Amino acid sequence: MAEALGPAVRAHNLRKVYRVAEKEPGFADTLRHFVRRRYREVEAVRGVSFVIEPGEIVGFLGANGAGKTTTLKMLTGLIYPSGGELEVLGHVPYRREAAFLRQITLVMGNKQQLIWDLPVLDSLRINAAVYEIDPAEARRRTRAFAELLEIEDILTQPVRKLSLGQRMKAELMASLFHLPRLLFLDEPTLGLDVNAQAAVRRFLRDYRERYGATILLTSHYMADIEALAERVLVIHRGALLYDGGLGGLVERFAPFKEVRLELAAPAEPAELAGFGEVAEASGRRVRLLVTKEGLTRTVAELLSRFEVRDLSVTEPPLEDVIARVFSEGRV
Amino acid sequence: MRWLVRKAWTLVAVYFAYMLEYRGEIFFWMLSGITPFFFMSAWTAAANQGLTGYDANDYARYFFAVFVARQLGIVWAHWNMSEDVRSGRFSFRLLQPLDPVWHYLADHVGERGVRLPMLAVVGLVFAWLYPEALVWPGAERAALGLVAVGLAFGVNFFASYVVGLLALWLEDATSIYNLWYVAMLFFSGMLAPLALYPDPVRQVLAWTPFPHLVYLPAAIWSGLEADATRGLLTLLAWNLFFFTLGRLLWHLGRRHYSAMGA
Repeated sequence: MAEALGPAVRAHNLRKVYRVAEKEPGFADTLRHFVRRRYREVEAVRGVSFVIEPGEIVGFLGANGAGKTTTLKMLTGLIYPSGGELEVLGHVPYRREAAFLRQITLVMGNKQQLIWDLPVLDSLRINAAVYEIDPAEARRRTRAFAELLEIEDILTQPVRKLSLGQRMKAELMASLFHLPRLLFLDEPTLGLDVNAQAAVRRFLRDYRERYGATILLTSHYMADIEALAERVLVIHRGALLYDGGLGGLVERFAPFKEVRLELAAPAEPAELAGFGEVAEASGRRVRLLVTKEGLTRTVAELLSRFEVRDLSVTEPPLEDVIARVFSEGRV
Repeated sequence: MRWLVRKAWTLVAVYFAYMLEYRGEIFFWMLSGITPFFFMSAWTAAANQGLTGYDANDYARYFFAVFVARQLGIVWAHWNMSEDVRSGRFSFRLLQPLDPVWHYLADHVGERGVRLPMLAVVGLVFAWLYPEALVWPGAERAALGLVAVGLAFGVNFFASYVVGLLALWLEDATSIYNLWYVAMLFFSGMLAPLALYPDPVRQVLAWTPFPHLVYLPAAIWSGLEADATRGLLTLLAWNLFFFTLGRLLWHLGRRHYSAMGA
């Protein structure tokens, strides 16, 4: 794989505005809509700027409708931006130059490129021809990927007969068959069981190590982000809220620690409210979110007020932090 | 060039395998195209009563040729496109360094590989039922008819693709193609040999693609009156027109495409 000369992705003030037809329910409004359509402009991405260097694995976080997928569509050249500048591997994506398309891939966890009624190998044959991969090399890659993904025995089965996990692995294989340098992964583990999720993450890590690929990953499973990403971009309502390390995200958006207690006797939530935000209080088990500044004092007060069997202080789960960012939309 | 051939061959081979999975559906689809045989019955009955200028065998021969020309010219690129856009699969096509139209073309060519043997069986049944009607037109006319069918397929395919490209604006453009089919039904010679139409109507129709899509090859094969040179040139011109329109809509539509559902 050739070395990239500049950043893998450079987006500056990237914007996308969709024109959406609006219609109220009811017969009269249906007729009105037919005669004169009303449109509304929706700004899906609002002036997003970031740079991704070659070899980075970046997590792209955001609630549903935040603008993640629209951004990915612009980065892969599927749609034209409404404004801003965009350069991916030195190319303007929407021009769809062959040299650009040969170096990228997009995996969509909820969509499939494999031909439903034919064996996986037939879809790979098409990809090998389209990406001009020599037959001997295609056979070698088929063996190597199948071994890594542990799907050697399903390649001759029609795609429709495969389980969701097997299908996703086969999708990954087809998407990476041309050894792209830049991977856009949109929910690659969506709907998979824990074992299949782990296998996909392992494969992606191996691929990145072996080929030095750059990865931009969206996922609702924080385990994916924690296992793969060193850096995250957080997008909310089309605007970029955060660009930095995972640790920094917790630091910035969760200025509190999680205190877990096991009490000798059950306590009422009202008794605990004064010590911090009660995240959970079920009988003797309690989970409190306490500000970092008041942590020492609060722990001392808890120990003096209650008979405590066990106590631990940790960073709050990333899911909680992200949920808090999205619900509050804080910058 | 080596890769071009390999791409074309692989696409056709894989889509042929895909279509083999749907052989039953294709068989019934082909049976649904037996309309020309109903018109054949009506016109042969009229011929037996001496009401038309051709005899019963002429009509049988002509409508069988119509059936074959129609079967070889059937297209569904508009459906391919609309379905791909609606399902989000079109995005995967755009991600590949290959124009999506090649997938649709290979899909059609692969399907012909499945349809042709079935067509041969229908031909044998027809020969058994109407042995006097089947007359070998000669190598030259047979070849000329095939060229006409090839060009007619091109016009049908590019017109269907042009309609399909409207899905980039409308998300579903399949209904629009019905207009094309209606025009073809009335003006292509599927209802009656165009030689029976009034002269002014024929003169106007000659400038449109419709009479050349079915009547031209059918007339060449069955020995009816046909201006082959003009017909082939007209088909060539319409191929160029729809091809150019397709490229234009492709470039405009790409800007409009929102990759919905992907």
